[in-house]
Amino acid sequence: MTVLILTCEQDVTADMVVAELHGAGVPVVRLDPADLPGAVAISGEYVHGAFQGHLSVGGRLVSTSGLRSIWVRRPGVPAARAAEPSAWLTEEASQALYGMLNGTGARWMNRPDAALRARHKPWQLHLAQRTGFPVPATLITTFPQAARDFAERFPDLVVKPVSGTHPQDPPRAVPTSRIAPDADFAAVAFGPTLFQRRIAKRADIRLTAVGDRLLAARKPAAADADEVDVRFAPSPGPWQPADVPPRIARSVHDFLRRAELAYGAFDFAEDADGIWWFLECNQSGQFGFVELDTGQPIARALAHWLARDEAESEQAAPSPAPAH
Amino acid sequence: MRPFALDYARPAEEWEVSTPYSYDSALQLNVLPDGRIAAHDYAVLREWGATTSTAGSKTHFDD
Repeated sequence: MTVLILTCEQDVTADMVVAELHGAGVPVVRLDPADLPGAVAISGEYVHGAFQGHLSVGGRLVSTSGLRSIWVRRPGVPAARAAEPSAWLTEEASQALYGMLNGTGARWMNRPDAALRARHKPWQLHLAQRTGFPVPATLITTFPQAARDFAERFPDLVVKPVSGTHPQDPPRAVPTSRIAPDADFAAVAFGPTLFQRRIAKRADIRLTAVGDRLLAARKPAAADADEVDVRFAPSPGPWQPADVPPRIARSVHDFLRRAELAYGAFDFAEDADGIWWFLECNQSGQFGFVELDTGQPIARALAHWLARDEAESEQAAPSPAPAH
Repeated sequence: MRPFALDYARPAEEWEVSTPYSYDSALQLNVLPDGRIAAHDYAVLREWGATTSTAGSKTHFDD
């Protein structure tokens, strides 16, 4: 049985897992949907009540029935590198590939529909509240007056993109940023804006969840309180392994179960009392930088999850969440 | 008419850089010029920041 990895060629973080799978003797097929059609070829036949599908890349041919698991890492846009790319061809290639793969019995990390839903930060906040995480007071609004009122109630605020994405025309980054006390909120009317009470943090926490396995890392916060985004702040030191508080562990498992995610990289801000405040869950968040600093075997955990068989998965799977 | 959040935007990091490794389709891994697997060389990974969680990257849509 084969592990299918959907990612771009430049993804050296995926390489860390591929190398682990090679070491364990687990068959791997790695492809980038951007190369479909072209270097990647697919075929699926629905005849006499049965389905037979095949994928081909780099001289490798695999049957869809022979797929053990599918890891969606950093896939390119389907058909992006086609000889004559178009939005229509992208839709055709996307539906053919993901539609066929959705019909297989392979386990996903993560299933595309669950991944799409999990990328919505407002939905994350909702689920985080329901699963017992401490969540900083948050407002998402296009009402300038609502922003002013919120700033009166919570004078120390940060702003961050609702989507977590960044403008590309021209390319810019929008880090989580502290708002000046005299901010003019009129421009809130020109785009949904996410405000959040700033947590006076003493450390950043990155918790990587691989199936049931939780690996947390901690980094002391930068001395400059105005640089609130750990991705942009000067690093006061490397990430260090951290123990996961039992309450947080329960919430993480519950969150992943309800979100139908097999993988999630959670960001928390640890305050002076040691409380871990939920900031976000990146359903395909990076993990290499944590492993490099801490030595935590995240790539090996991923390889193990991808390689294990279905019976083992069911045995290890947590019980279903109650309906709400 | 600029949305409020864009008041806090800054230029994105340049990601169109050439890396010292290249993809080997037979191994399905990136390799260094001497044939070693790039992912096994932590110094290379650190230097090129290829595994870092950084906002503004076109390929790292999630963080």
